[in-house]
Amino acid sequence: MPPSLECSSDRGTDGWIRRTRVRVIGTIVAGPLRVILLTLLPVLVSDVRAAAVEGRVALPETRTVTVPNKRYEVVAKGGVLSLSPPLAVVYLEGKFALSAEPPLARMVQKDLVFTPALLPVQRGTRVEFPNLDDTYHNIFSYSSAKRFDLGRYRPDERPIPSQVFDLAGLVTLRCDIHEHMRALILVLDTPYFVLTDESGRFRLDGLPAGSYVLKAWLNSRVVREQPVILREDAVLTVDFP
Amino acid sequence: MTDTPGTGLKQARGFRANLRVTMMLVVSVATGLALFVAERNLVTSVENDLQREFQAELETVHHLQALRQAALLERCRTLVRRPRIHAALEDDALDLLYPSARDELRDVMSPAEPAFGSVLRAEFYRFLDRRGAVISAGAAAGAGALQADEEARLRLSDVPETRQIGYLIRRSPDGSEAISEIVTMPILSQETGAAIAALVLGFRFEFLGPAGNNEELRRGVWIEERLYLEGVSDVARAQLAADLPRLKQDGDASSQGVVLRLDGALHRVFCQQLNPGTLYPPAHEVCVYPLASLLARRQSIRWKIIGAGGLVLLIGLIASHLASGRLSMPVERLEVDTAEARLQRQRAEAALESTSVELQRAARFSADASHQLKTPVAVLRAGLEELRAAGRFNPETNDEISRLVHQTYRLSGVIDDLLLLSRLDAGRLALALEPIELTRLIDAALDDLGVHPDADTFSVETEIPATLEVGGDEHYLSIILQNLLENARKYNRPAGRIRITARREGSAVLLSVGNTGKAIPAASQAHIFERFHRGGVGENVPGYGLGLNLARELARLHQGELRLVKSADDWTEFELRLRAVSDVPNASVESPLT
Repeated sequence: MPPSLECSSDRGTDGWIRRTRVRVIGTIVAGPLRVILLTLLPVLVSDVRAAAVEGRVALPETRTVTVPNKRYEVVAKGGVLSLSPPLAVVYLEGKFALSAEPPLARMVQKDLVFTPALLPVQRGTRVEFPNLDDTYHNIFSYSSAKRFDLGRYRPDERPIPSQVFDLAGLVTLRCDIHEHMRALILVLDTPYFVLTDESGRFRLDGLPAGSYVLKAWLNSRVVREQPVILREDAVLTVDFP
Repeated sequence: MTDTPGTGLKQARGFRANLRVTMMLVVSVATGLALFVAERNLVTSVENDLQREFQAELETVHHLQALRQAALLERCRTLVRRPRIHAALEDDALDLLYPSARDELRDVMSPAEPAFGSVLRAEFYRFLDRRGAVISAGAAAGAGALQADEEARLRLSDVPETRQIGYLIRRSPDGSEAISEIVTMPILSQETGAAIAALVLGFRFEFLGPAGNNEELRRGVWIEERLYLEGVSDVARAQLAADLPRLKQDGDASSQGVVLRLDGALHRVFCQQLNPGTLYPPAHEVCVYPLASLLARRQSIRWKIIGAGGLVLLIGLIASHLASGRLSMPVERLEVDTAEARLQRQRAEAALESTSVELQRAARFSADASHQLKTPVAVLRAGLEELRAAGRFNPETNDEISRLVHQTYRLSGVIDDLLLLSRLDAGRLALALEPIELTRLIDAALDDLGVHPDADTFSVETEIPATLEVGGDEHYLSIILQNLLENARKYNRPAGRIRITARREGSAVLLSVGNTGKAIPAASQAHIFERFHRGGVGENVPGYGLGLNLARELARLHQGELRLVKSADDWTEFELRLRAVSDVPNASVESPLT
């Protein structure tokens, strides 16, 4: 499911800025959505009476005016990594069984940036890192959750270099060649997670009923949580102030 | 006239000696001054040249060092931006810091380019954490070995915001010491720009650049109160180390250098901080230039100048000697001439004085003699006339007595003339000038002439304007006229004539007296006015050769002149020039005829 297909309906507006924005958003949405769909597909098929949560995460105010060319980048301030402009990851904490087939995710390197800049994945997910630029890239991570070094490779590298993230935690990706390139991969134990939109709104569908803790990851240091009791066929509204 | 010719010459010689001494003095002083100035200028220019040489050399060396340092710093700047080092520091992976750095710094630690091999090769590297403490390399290989105390000296009180340069004395196990140059480069956060850590790179410190033309140049480092300087004695090093704390405060020491005496020889010492504004202990570069070659050059210049100066002085002295001799020569000659002239004048004056005395004496004598003669002649004449009047003698004897009486008259005339001349010579004759009518005077003289027995033998013509007056003394003018007319009569031929004319010409009256007769020989014409000269005329003509002389003297006494106009072709003519009466001072305007 290439991002461009998903966002084809938005095509037609003119101006490359707008096109780029649409493509970026599409790319960002594509990864998590696909994961969610892939994860929830058996559930949805077997049990249609699933619970859902929606709400809003209060994102930190950004001083920067929203620019048409939206580019998310990882910033580290005082050792705290976050995304700018801010986005949050909302996920349901708990022990869930891993799916038999490891889920697949993708983070592309295009125009000398990682896209998406923040990628939440379930533990055990294989993430592919296709190089869509004309130049070499060299992705590596020194993070304790996953240390790896893919070495230099070109766009036509096959198979597409990938890594399996089997330890929960935050992984910082860097490019050894392009010192400004950075991205975060948030490896979670749960298959139930979603990336908020820019205003902080989110919706999680297909959740199992029960008593859980709903968490909102804001940055590497701040994770907010709310206890939730999910009922079947009910949509719970939870806001993170 | 107290100076004698000898003293004059002595003075001239003294002048020459003074001139010589003055000129030599001037030459010596001028040469000395010129040499002094030349020596000053040359020595200064040599010193300046050497100074410039030093400066240029030092600048070249510093430039090279700056280039090397710029290369080092650029290398460090590149290193501290490396993503792996950032990742190790920021992603909480300190265990990977030194292994990553080993990869990143491989080319610095063992450079491939031989050209920069020794210059840019690092000996060790370490990282400082955000508090300035050294992050231990642990067992990681490739970071370069450092003693614990050496590593401790890398630390700073805080992680620096800017690059720092320090110098570290390291001791190798065999006891020798080496200096490492430390470049500490902050690792800045990409987001905030704040320093999160620092990379410390240690390079082997060595002075770059050739020693230049001056192979005696010594360069060293003064660090932590210790001086590392090769090629000088221990004494000099110790002395220099003692002077350096003072020198480092001196601004001149870094730009111009200061001159110090080391090991008994002068040296120019430059002292400049290698790492200004650093957090590490300050280190100073010390450059020592021996000034021996400068002094040798200066000495050689001085000798050359003294040699040249001696030559110039010698030439100058010789020249001044010759010049003074030549210059004083005219003065000496003048002095000699003056002495001779003075001698001649003195002689002439003496001669003149004696002549004058003789003349006075002669005049007085002739006046006295004339006067003494007059009385006996008168007595003689009176006696003769008495004898003749007594009638006691026969007629022949009476005739003889008569002739004797006549002779006494002539004798009286001569005595009168002599008396007059002697008075003229003595300058005792005073004239009373007054207007005199010339016609009357001439008539009277012609009357006198007429009484002579031979008066019938010649005719007299006169052409004299009436009322023509001249200024003069009547008595003496008559003597002049009588003498002229007497001559005209005496030297006339039988049946001859006498012509007297007078006319006025300006302020003068010209009276001509001409007569026929034998001309005066040309050879005698120039001498006829001399006393006792008779013009070579016949001896039968009476006279003593006093008349013309007396007439001319008297004419001159009247501010006039008597001259011979012509004496040839049976005609002799004299011209008497007198002053007209209107021109006579104190002359009466009254005419005596009216």
